[in-house]
Amino acid sequence: MSDPATITETLTKDHRDCDRLLSAVSLQGRKTDWPRVVRETEAFRAAMERHFRFEEEVLFPPLEQVAPLAAGPTEMMRQHHGQIRVLLDDLAAAAAAAEAADYVGISETLHFLIQQHNAKEEGILYPLADRALAGQGADLAARLAEMD
Amino acid sequence: MIATDGLSLEQAPPLDLPLRLFLTAPLFAAAAGVLLLWQADVVLATRWSPAALAATHLLTVGFLGMVMVGASLQMLPVLVGAPVPAVRPVAGAVHMLLGIGATGLAAGLLGGGPWPLAIGAATAALGFGIAALGLLLALWRARRRGTGLRGFPLPMLALMVAVALGAMLTLALLGWLVLPRLLDWVNLHAAWGLFGWVGLLVLTVGVQVVPLFHVTPAYPVWVVRRLGPLLFLALLGLTLAALLPDSAGIPIAQLLGALLAAGFGAFAVLTLWLQAHGARARIDATLLHWWLAMAALLGAVGCWALGGSTELMGLLLLVGVGVGLPSGMLLKIVPFLCWFHLQSRQVALGRFDLRIPHMHRLLPERGARAQLALHAAALVFLLAGLLQPVFGRVGGALLALAALWLLALLVGSASRYRAAKRTLETTSAGTG
Ligand code: HEM
Ligand SMILES: [Fe+2]
Ligand SMILES: [Fe+2]
Repeated sequence: MSDPATITETLTKDHRDCDRLLSAVSLQGRKTDWPRVVRETEAFRAAMERHFRFEEEVLFPPLEQVAPLAAGPTEMMRQHHGQIRVLLDDLAAAAAAAEAADYVGISETLHFLIQQHNAKEEGILYPLADRALAGQGADLAARLAEMD
Repeated sequence: MIATDGLSLEQAPPLDLPLRLFLTAPLFAAAAGVLLLWQADVVLATRWSPAALAATHLLTVGFLGMVMVGASLQMLPVLVGAPVPAVRPVAGAVHMLLGIGATGLAAGLLGGGPWPLAIGAATAALGFGIAALGLLLALWRARRRGTGLRGFPLPMLALMVAVALGAMLTLALLGWLVLPRLLDWVNLHAAWGLFGWVGLLVLTVGVQVVPLFHVTPAYPVWVVRRLGPLLFLALLGLTLAALLPDSAGIPIAQLLGALLAAGFGAFAVLTLWLQAHGARARIDATLLHWWLAMAALLGAVGCWALGGSTELMGLLLLVGVGVGLPSGMLLKIVPFLCWFHLQSRQVALGRFDLRIPHMHRLLPERGARAQLALHAAALVFLLAGLLQPVFGRVGGALLALAALWLLALLVGSASRYRAAKRTLETTSAGTG
């Protein structure tokens, strides 16, 4: 087996997987299958929620313990999660109401917001976590797969 | 903000700073369009016409310069956690200096006399210098982390070389400096500006943002890590070759030119391939802007390979790539920034009972598509203008229209932002 994956690798890959779930939702004008859009939107939201819960419950607490200086940045990441959750709710509402124009507009706004958030985590916070948590990091990362 | 070993995840700069640059930039593209409308016959007939030189610098210094600085102010804090130091004075000064610089350079090159040229060159050089210093300083402070923008210093260095050469050319034109083989120096200046700055900037930013925003597979590692530095070295070689005697210099320059053409060609082909294989299939104005710009880039490479005219190449690179890609980017970045600042306000006020307008409400997609169509038509007519000047005039008019329509969309986005912000604040004051 290869080296256990780092936090940066595991969570970056999870970011991409979530991105793909959102971009796979397709609207086809009048022929849009809304029940399916609702299901796919829920699947995307569940994946995002799993990722956030991993960060907030599994990753950030030990990181804040070993590196108290990281508490500012993790707090900001939690705030971002809150902002993203607001849009996830809006997206689900647009799907439920079969509002195509709003769905597309919210989906794109959400996509940009998530990219902005992910860029900060991937470029700064995850590398910091890998350094600060050293060996423990890989064990933590492995726990993402066990979450549901 | 300071304590975490320089680790700063603070928010991007105040909205008015990038907006100021983004809302001024299209005016310079519009001015270039008007110049073409007025003098298409001479602009397109030869790159050496005063109007061609003026239009070139309206686009590069005025439009591209402002868009690049505005976007960098915004992206550096996000991508590498590195805010630009003294961002407000820096942004204000660069905005003013590039504005005066582009205007002065254009007026001077158009035959307005030595003073506008001298003042324009000095202010443009100062503006770019301050911008580069601020951006490089921010990157240097963040050098130990943030792998995101590893290649970013190279286009900035290329810009500095282009600016330094531009300053030398200006001194030569003013008769304050004797430059033998002036033509070689102009060509080097143009190469560092177009391939070094514009080309490497598109490459460095592209390999970062295309996979994220269009949800495509990543670029191959050699493109992300090596292609930029390789092309930069090729430009350095080209510069040195100009100092050699012709017998040695010309073949070397040919070889390095081929390397540059192949490198940018490969980037364009890869980008189109990745975008075709991305998960995000929605074809919108920005994606179409990318396709058009990559097609123009391939056209320029082909033109080079077939020994086509430099006027054709310049047009494809300056308008096809240099106006198209930044326009496509502005169509997204401005509504997103407006939305982002609105939502931050909403969170701060705790007003989740109110809905804020999403990106497409701030900047309607239909308007964006019309912008793309105007731009594409402008490019086609300008290309046709190389054969028949009257088409060039139409192309100039379309270029100006595309820029003004872009401006209208951006202003619309900003004013919807203000209206929504007022609603958030007044209703929250009323209900406590
Ligand atoms: C401080 C900034 C700059 C100054 C002072 C400057 C000045 C000049 C001057 C004096 C010339 C030659 C005019 C002649 O031969 O009559 C020139 C040509 C040119 N410059 Fe600049 N320039 C500046 C920035 C740039 C930038 C950033 C670009 C970016 C692409 C650029 C692109 C070009 C091109 C392509 C030409 C050749 C035009 C042609 O071949 O038709 N310049 N510049
Ligand atoms: Fe997160
Ligand atoms: Fe994350």
